[in-house]
Amino acid sequence: MSADVAPTAHRAGAPTDRRWTVPALAGLTTAVGLASIWSLSAGAVTIPWSVIANTLFGLDGPRQDYIVLNSRLPRTVLALVCGGALALSGAIIQALLRNALASPKVIGINAGAALAVCLAVIAGLSPGWLPAIAVAGGMTAAGLVWFGSLRRRASPARLALIGISVGFLCDAGVDFLLVSSPPYLFSAPLVWMTGSLWARGWEDVATAAPILVPLTALALALSYRLDLIRLGDAHARGLGMDVRLERPLLLLLATVIASVSVAVVGALGFVGLMAPHLARQMVGGDHRALMPAAMLTGMALVVLADAAGRALAPPIEVSAGILTALFGAPFFVFILLTERRGRP
Amino acid sequence: MRAAANRNPRRAALSTALIGAALGSGTMISLATGGRSDVGLVTLWELATGAADALPGATMLDIRMPRTAVAALLGVNLALSGLILQAITRNPLASPAILGINQGAALGLVAALAFPAASGLTLDAMAVAGALGAGTITFAIAGGFGGRIDPMRLVLGGVAVGAFAYAAVRFAYTLEDDLARSVVRWTVGDIGDMRWSNARALAVWSGIGGLLAAFLSHRLNMMALGEASSRGLGADPRWTLLAGAVVAAALAGVSVAVAGPIAFVGLVVPHVARALFGGDHRILVPAAAALGAALMLLADGASKMLAAPAEVPVGLVAAMIGAPYFLYLAIFSDALE
Repeated sequence: MSADVAPTAHRAGAPTDRRWTVPALAGLTTAVGLASIWSLSAGAVTIPWSVIANTLFGLDGPRQDYIVLNSRLPRTVLALVCGGALALSGAIIQALLRNALASPKVIGINAGAALAVCLAVIAGLSPGWLPAIAVAGGMTAAGLVWFGSLRRRASPARLALIGISVGFLCDAGVDFLLVSSPPYLFSAPLVWMTGSLWARGWEDVATAAPILVPLTALALALSYRLDLIRLGDAHARGLGMDVRLERPLLLLLATVIASVSVAVVGALGFVGLMAPHLARQMVGGDHRALMPAAMLTGMALVVLADAAGRALAPPIEVSAGILTALFGAPFFVFILLTERRGRP
Repeated sequence: MRAAANRNPRRAALSTALIGAALGSGTMISLATGGRSDVGLVTLWELATGAADALPGATMLDIRMPRTAVAALLGVNLALSGLILQAITRNPLASPAILGINQGAALGLVAALAFPAASGLTLDAMAVAGALGAGTITFAIAGGFGGRIDPMRLVLGGVAVGAFAYAAVRFAYTLEDDLARSVVRWTVGDIGDMRWSNARALAVWSGIGGLLAAFLSHRLNMMALGEASSRGLGADPRWTLLAGAVVAAALAGVSVAVAGPIAFVGLVVPHVARALFGGDHRILVPAAAALGAALMLLADGASKMLAAPAEVPVGLVAAMIGAPYFLYLAIFSDALE
């Protein structure tokens, strides 16, 4: 794609001062912690913070073992893991494609993974296979987008458009499978498809976390490679980086992270788009600061969306994916209007 | 948009015959297929001669025929809406679904259902209002009020507006009721339970919309030449834009009110019509209407056959035809840079 574009200047207005990095990260960590506590307390049964503390730390006093430990804690953990993963995936994709509009959803990964998972559910595969299937689907969709944008040097907006149309294609397939198969197969996946943590339990954490946590750490460790790539391919090569090898590998990492998240929490749109942009506003464009900040932002976003969905109208739950879309779509328009030709 | 096209009379006749054949076969397939295998085209003959049994006859009269009529009318509405939108924005990807107009109409409809007292308007009017609102926002995002429409921003902005409206619809339905499955059927465009009252309501709108589109067709031709030429020829492009947008939004809005958002018919049909008949909107308006009807009739037949005895919503069949074409346009269309 955009091979030898000169490095664009730092975005105006984004603070790049190193002094702000540590306070920003500390503030984000606090926000994630508070959001998690709210997520444990919000829902059909509101649980006071003191009871949560009693339950978590085995203190004397009133406890709510079942709700907190078996229902809300695994959901919160899953929201943290997947939110961080989606945000990192988005940050990597935006850096690699030099495209401010790009995100796992926009380049079709979410829909491709969802379609593959639906096919697997129909084929009756055991849930343990779902992450692998989702990765295959996400990679197929991302590959399709990539081939589509090869025809010419696709502009960032063109790439987003191709990704959106691949997403439409996969969505049509998902809808077809949902409507044409027996209801018992898809009563739960239907909720899941919209991006929801409803009824997620420890077994889902056990499926996702062993894959996502190491890959997340790997992505964080590779942050500085993204800084090299951001300098432009010629500079990166001059600094001893094999760009032609590392770019696809990093893209593969981003795809795997996003697809596995989709396999457990469904198509949570726009988190991978919003989190890196918000983080860039806080800590600037240096990826060693940006990547952790984006991860924390993504964690906070998904935990907040899940908790808000439960707190809005208990006992009804609003899918987290609906809330992220309600905020994410206007955000997409904002970026579309403010970024000149969509370059970060 | 290519205005230069063949005005070869033989080719025009061939295209007309093709559309006629598609319309005829589509009508027959749509009428012949359905849940009851004992009801078919024979029933039509029996109805005409008065020899039909009560049940098959009633099935044909009260279930099959209104559904077929609704499918055809939806095709007319959506195709005309897409044709007008592509002409006034001079953007080959414009269509009610891509610009967020369908989803906006759905949101208006849901708002009317959720707050019946507050709106005080009929469902149709709320759907049209939602369609107009979404279209206006998309137009503003594309910079249309500043004088120049950015084609890429129009499409991407429209998709985002649609995503927002669609999320809001799902949000409302989640709070309203737990009917997840019926919501899916409705949001993908289902015409399984259409009756004559629906067809009548649609027919009125299709008639008015078709007449207005025919009335606008000369102005649409001038829009295709560019806004400056249009002004030079004495047709204020802003007036064309406003009138076209209102007609397109109304046609899409009433269609959504009846059947839910059906995507891609409005995108694909104008392209096929232009390929067959060239760029003259005085011919394109009737041609797109007929083609839209034919496509929806065939899609309706397919929707009853694909997963028989279950049904695939017709909007989904349309999406499975249209989404690959949208991908093709996204990759190859040169009009977006």
